[in-house]
Amino acid sequence: MLALEVKNITKVFNGKNGKDILANNDISLNIEEGKIYGLLGPNGAGKSTLINIISGIMLPAKGEVKVFGHDIVKETVKAKKTMGVVPQEIVTELAFTVEEILYYTSGMYGAGIGERKKLIDKVLDDLDLGDKRQERARNLSGGMKRRLMIAKAIIRRPKFLILDEPTSGVDVALRQKTWELVRRMNKEGTTILFTTHYIEEAEQLCEEISLVNHGEVVKQGRVSDIQREFTENEIVFELYDISAEQLPGVNKNGNEFQLPVHDLQVDMSKVIKHYGTNLKSVKSGAASLENIFLKLTAE
Amino acid sequence: MSAYIWALYAREVKRFQKIWFDTVASPVVSTLLYLLIFGVVTAGRSIEGVDYKAFVYAGLLGMVMVNSSFSNPMFALILSKNVGTIVDIQLAPISPARVGMAYAMAAFTRGIITVFIAGLITVWFIPGVGLDHPLILMAALVITGIEFGLFGVIFGLLLKNFESLTFLMTFVMQPMIFLAGVFYPISLLPKPWDFVSIFNPLHHNINLIRYGLVGYSDTAPLLSFAVIVVLSLVLFGAMNAVASRALRK
Ligand SMILES: Nc1ncnc2c1ncn2[C@@H]1O[C@H](COP(=O)(O)OP(=O)(O)OP(=O)(O)O)[C@@H](O)[C@H]1O
Ligand SMILES: [Mg+2]
Repeated sequence: MLALEVKNITKVFNGKNGKDILANNDISLNIEEGKIYGLLGPNGAGKSTLINIISGIMLPAKGEVKVFGHDIVKETVKAKKTMGVVPQEIVTELAFTVEEILYYTSGMYGAGIGERKKLIDKVLDDLDLGDKRQERARNLSGGMKRRLMIAKAIIRRPKFLILDEPTSGVDVALRQKTWELVRRMNKEGTTILFTTHYIEEAEQLCEEISLVNHGEVVKQGRVSDIQREFTENEIVFELYDISAEQLPGVNKNGNEFQLPVHDLQVDMSKVIKHYGTNLKSVKSGAASLENIFLKLTAE
Repeated sequence: MSAYIWALYAREVKRFQKIWFDTVASPVVSTLLYLLIFGVVTAGRSIEGVDYKAFVYAGLLGMVMVNSSFSNPMFALILSKNVGTIVDIQLAPISPARVGMAYAMAAFTRGIITVFIAGLITVWFIPGVGLDHPLILMAALVITGIEFGLFGVIFGLLLKNFESLTFLMTFVMQPMIFLAGVFYPISLLPKPWDFVSIFNPLHHNINLIRYGLVGYSDTAPLLSFAVIVVLSLVLFGAMNAVASRALRK
């Protein structure tokens, strides 16, 4: 089953001085139930706009979103019941304590009064906020506020968890913990959609991604396929002794030598066998997402 | 009704419970001040057999109900829009109409608690105030709380900041209060203001609450009752339309 179906979503904002901003332009994507999916793109690409439309807090100008088969515009409440959303911006209630916030939030997602204590205990434990239970939320540190936002989104164990840049402004230890939690929830069956600027996170976590730029999808698919497509089609190497006899087809380019690739594995072993210990360096293979990202979003 | 909307209602009740002293203290003090002034100025006077002080007192309690239930959702919503916590109700699986009803019911709750406490503290200064028609009084308070709670929700969603709130209070609420017959019977007003007052929705809330409390009415109680019921239904429709647009743009 599809956890998420986004079809031809377009969203236009009225910018200052009458100019329209095309924040999402004909975006489509599907997420299979049980997957972790990454939405990548530079600042202002339109990621948050798309997430707001999916989570039912913005209306698209065109297109359709279905969450577990429920149309987000026509069956909003049903669709929302399957989702937990962590928005990009941190906001906190001024008057309430951590425990109060979780108490009312779990209720607003359908937990009966009797269930709530157990849910709060569990989520405070998951996010290491146990000792902040009675603290006023406004007095938490930035990282703790971020964790509280995650706690609110997962307290009712949604089938579909959406995180909009959950690791921005968060230290390394907390970043790892957050992803551990996401992985664990995914193993327990939760479908995940997240956005991030840290490309290595997407590389490690998800099978599939969409890359958006200027409101449009510029690349979409399995991470491994995208990497294969962008694999440089040559092996580049340096030699200690440049007067050595060259393999047929090798070109010299400054200090480097290049060999066009037909089959990466075969050609690589040819190069290594031929030059042996004369090789100073050799590179090729899968391009990192980082490089692909830079290539695709370059003006 | 489901757990979802009750939790939102409980959250909004908790919000004003946290500042319950502020909530109750200011209406109690202002009611007492008004009574003191009117008590001195109008000592011994009466309107169709009702002591003037009791007449004003009933009107003031009506105003307490209206003000508390009107301002509660309005402040909560404008604040949450400015702080950004409005996203919590935008994300929750609760329809806009139900979100609005949860806020309106919390508004009514605040109104009734405030009226009860303010009444209990001040009633000793007004000899001769009874409960002439307790059931009518109860119905009038419930409908008034929901009605002005809905008003508060609508304006809380429409207004962007507290400056526009001040504008609304000065140019809409104040004139409405003065033409509502809180301090005097509207029949004492010069033409055409007595006639205009009939079309002031607030007049009918005050009129009915006063009828329930001291048995006096300016306008037929049944007419007032019909007006506030119909108006509440209209406001529910308006709130639904406003909330659907304001909570998802
Ligand atoms: N409410 C709004 N009104 C007007 N323009 C908006 C609004 N929200 C977003 N935009 C514009 O839409 C475009 C996309 O913004 P969006 O927040 O979706 O980008 P993003 O990919 O999430 O960026 P970031 O990585 O910085 O979070 C931007 O040009 C932004 O200025
Ligand atoms: Mg964003």
